[in-house]
Amino acid sequence: MIGRALSSDFLKIRGKGIWFLIFIAPIGLVVMQALNFGLRYDYLIKEYRGHLWEGLISNMMAFVPLALFMGSTLVSSMLAGVEHQLSSWKQLLALPISRTAVFTSKFVLSIILMAVACLLLSVFTAVLGLCLGFGFPLPWSDVAKIGFFPFIGSLPLLALQLYLSLTYRNQALPVTLGLALAICSLFTGSLSEWFPLNWPALAYRADHQLPFLGAGFALGLLILIFALLHFNRKDVN
Amino acid sequence: MNNYVIRTNGLTKSYRGRAAVDGLNLEIKKGEIYGFLGPNGAGKTTTIRMLLGLIRPTKGTVEILGKDLQKDKINILRRVGSLVEYPSYYGHLTAIENLEAIRRILNVPKSRIDEVLEIVSLTKEAKRAVKGYSLGMKQRLGIASALLGSPELLILDEPTNGLDPSGIHEIRELIKRMPQEHGITVLVSSHLLGEVEQMAGTVGIIREGRMVFQDTIVNLRQKAAGGINISLSEPESALWLAKDNGLAGMVQDGKLYFDGINDNQVAGLVKRLVENGHLIYRVEERNKSLEDIFMEVIGEVKSL
Repeated sequence: MIGRALSSDFLKIRGKGIWFLIFIAPIGLVVMQALNFGLRYDYLIKEYRGHLWEGLISNMMAFVPLALFMGSTLVSSMLAGVEHQLSSWKQLLALPISRTAVFTSKFVLSIILMAVACLLLSVFTAVLGLCLGFGFPLPWSDVAKIGFFPFIGSLPLLALQLYLSLTYRNQALPVTLGLALAICSLFTGSLSEWFPLNWPALAYRADHQLPFLGAGFALGLLILIFALLHFNRKDVN
Repeated sequence: MNNYVIRTNGLTKSYRGRAAVDGLNLEIKKGEIYGFLGPNGAGKTTTIRMLLGLIRPTKGTVEILGKDLQKDKINILRRVGSLVEYPSYYGHLTAIENLEAIRRILNVPKSRIDEVLEIVSLTKEAKRAVKGYSLGMKQRLGIASALLGSPELLILDEPTNGLDPSGIHEIRELIKRMPQEHGITVLVSSHLLGEVEQMAGTVGIIREGRMVFQDTIVNLRQKAAGGINISLSEPESALWLAKDNGLAGMVQDGKLYFDGINDNQVAGLVKRLVENGHLIYRVEERNKSLEDIFMEVIGEVKSL
């Protein structure tokens, strides 16, 4: 049932600019580092001598959590917009499909979209490193981790944003909240490491990454379950 | 035994203690077109949303196709097609893609898309983005979506709202064909009686959330039994002559009005009036229109 809803959802987001966002975001991050390293090449090469790849990835990592938060917010809002725009909820939910399937399908779709963006980030990072002449051996596992570990740490925010976006017809609230949280996340690093906004960064940077990955996954799931319970009961107007 | 397609029992929906729909008992038989009438805000859309499981009733039960909606929602919805208020569609997609998005959920054969486009005569326009459609075309696409799953029951909420006369005509003809050609029972809501009387066999009239009339259109018409209006030169004195002829009438807007008199009585009266020098300008039958009855039933006649 979720499969059918998902295949329908893939069709509906065609031509909405969502895929464009998914491609442009990782390109943007990589271009920023290309400029960073391009303009200060000699200085940075000296600075990171012997661990060039690590230097690149840690520079990149400074912006990844922010990008994830903003991406989650925008993707959620755009996905929800497809249904809100012409009040398609009443048609969709009068079809023989459970609300759980409808909601889960949106969640799975947003995860797939974000995962594609993260995969592209990993690939583009590797390409940039090679272009800058950092050469082999390529640190495969670090390059893969920068794509996916912060993403798992950001799952709670994705679940929250998707829930709010799907629930409120007016997208001002969820988008404002999402962007505000994204900006806050720049300044919360000094707070407890158990503050959820810190998890994407810690899921990559911490010595023990596993607890943060687990926490991201668990809290994301918890929010999803709560959202499902509400979505199943809600009146559709 | 159970030939009701829809049956509700004491269906009620309250918002903050105010009942939008109050103890509604809807009974719709198989194979008919049921006109669900009421002024704006009477609770038609709320009722329809409850029938489709979009909102939860505060009280009461809904039985569709012999099954309880609460327990069997998915199975019931598989056999029901719906169009709620203004059409829902994805404007950036073409008609075919819109139907495909729904088809994937319904899991019906792809050939159904061409079939329903044919039924609503949109085959030629099927490859255009829907945002460029006229309202009538969008509404027909909405009906096509509703028909996609080959439903046994079609629930249409205000399908002709906002359409021009030719659009209204098209939709009406389309709806009329449903029971005949496809064996589909239709529930169609409207705030215009004139529109529903041309297609419905049974009407339910709802006012402030309560059912105030539910019967066949024929019985509604019988309530409309008419009288005769005579306009003439001196109505007051003519009234006395009529009384002399044994007819109790009244003067309304400078015309004589007689309720329920037969042809012979009319002929006799006219002869008598002419013989007595009255100038008769016009003798006309005045049926209370269904619209009048509708207004009486919904109780707004005084405010006009």
